[in-house]
Amino acid sequence: MTVEGGSSNSSSRRAEAAWQRAALARERAAQQGVHAERHERRAEETGREFHTSMASMHRRTADRHIAAARLQETFARRMADGPTGRGARPVFMTGVAEACGTRSAALTLIGTDLSQLAVAASDRLSRTAQDLEYVLGAGPAREAARDRRPVAAVGPDVEKCWPGYGSGLASLGLSLVVAMPLTTPVGCIGALTVFDPRPGLAESGVFDEVAAALTDSVLLGPDADAGLYGDVDHRPVVHQAAGMLSEQVRCPVGDALALIKARAFALGEPPESIAQRIVSGDLKLS
Amino acid sequence: MPTPDQRLADAFVALADTLDDSYDIAAFLATLTECSVKLLDVRAAAGVVLAGYGSQGTQAAASDPLVARLEADAAQWQEGPCHDCHRSGARLDIGLAGTAARQRWPRYAPGAHALGYTRVAALPLRLRDESVGSLVLLCTGTTSLTQDTLDLGQSLADAATIAMLRERELSESRTLTTQLEGALNSRVLVEQAKGMLASRLALSMNEAFDLLRDYARSHQRKIAAVALDVIEGRVRPDRAKSGR
Repeated sequence: MTVEGGSSNSSSRRAEAAWQRAALARERAAQQGVHAERHERRAEETGREFHTSMASMHRRTADRHIAAARLQETFARRMADGPTGRGARPVFMTGVAEACGTRSAALTLIGTDLSQLAVAASDRLSRTAQDLEYVLGAGPAREAARDRRPVAAVGPDVEKCWPGYGSGLASLGLSLVVAMPLTTPVGCIGALTVFDPRPGLAESGVFDEVAAALTDSVLLGPDADAGLYGDVDHRPVVHQAAGMLSEQVRCPVGDALALIKARAFALGEPPESIAQRIVSGDLKLS
Repeated sequence: MPTPDQRLADAFVALADTLDDSYDIAAFLATLTECSVKLLDVRAAAGVVLAGYGSQGTQAAASDPLVARLEADAAQWQEGPCHDCHRSGARLDIGLAGTAARQRWPRYAPGAHALGYTRVAALPLRLRDESVGSLVLLCTGTTSLTQDTLDLGQSLADAATIAMLRERELSESRTLTTQLEGALNSRVLVEQAKGMLASRLALSMNEAFDLLRDYARSHQRKIAAVALDVIEGRVRPDRAKSGR
């Protein structure tokens, strides 16, 4: 046993968990590689299409496990590097953004009714963009999840696609947005939204790989952590405020939530700050 | 009269068609055996998936109900072509009348022979590396099945395997997705209910959560279900009745 001086217990525990997940993902990738090789050999022996398609299926799965392992390893190294306390950067999402060639990337978990259920963002810009999408109820992540296909827009086109969202993005100094659906064989659980990635990356297929790794291994796999090591925000204060407001103005909680979003949009503030004022009793909406 | 190619295509389409909600493995195996009898010129076919695959026990379906019974029994006895083929992962094709078959399968061989079958072949149903069962082909002639027939049978078995693999993935994925969405929704409902109770009863958020949790405990219900009832006005927990 080694005793680690200085670093907080919780960050070394998280690093340890991430190393373990990375090792498991690499093991699964290796296993898939063995399956693929076996089918490749059989394909050569028999010339049967069946084995060729099985081999490529196993190769794709292996790639996904490797991408997941890399995300876990990046996270583990970061946790070992520096102390992370309250208000620290979202370390896992920072790694996700980096894998996508940017500083700004966000993951949105979306329900079957297309409502945002939770959000994780790498930085303030991507979080503000997700907030905007949340209050508008429209934007690239929602569209990618709804249509289960990647969505991309740049510059003035962003505003044309999603009125109100594009101007907000421009005021954040962001111009290109790409949203990848997080698809499963039975549906879609959300979207990965990437802002202003390095040129050429959007076409390279790397976003697909990261989105698939997040879906299959990080969020839904056998050793999944749907909280992304604490990066996922369920917007608790917004929902508390919606509950309070629905009691105060005697309306359904969904309507109360809509009131909060509308006020946030009108004032150009994050929904959390409106909600905080409702919860503390400083703001009465009706 | 459809051409042989058409019949072949129809069979593979039927095996690939697992995507409707009514999929169940027994019906699927019945389709496999039906296709096998039509295409392979055998008297009877049985599809057997042994216990251990998925959550169900042994599943046997056959074109002849007496064969289905025999195969289910054979799985219990742990003998017969399905059992051996499953263990070795290799195809087999042997006569049922001789003493060799009776020595190998003391219960299965006489059983099958009594039903009028003289030869049996078994092809593995392979899921990735694991064998999950076999496709058993029964004949009334004395000659072995041709290599081409066995190859076509293996193709049917492989197509069936892919469909089962896909069905298993879909069902796992459905479970995981439902669990994730359920967990996320629960968080939302609990926070909303906390807000309602906090406002109604002038409680802090922590006190509102305690009230919800205690109510759920004393009624032996999940906290998210109680939260939903609070939001929709079906229950109104309050401090006096929470038993604290």
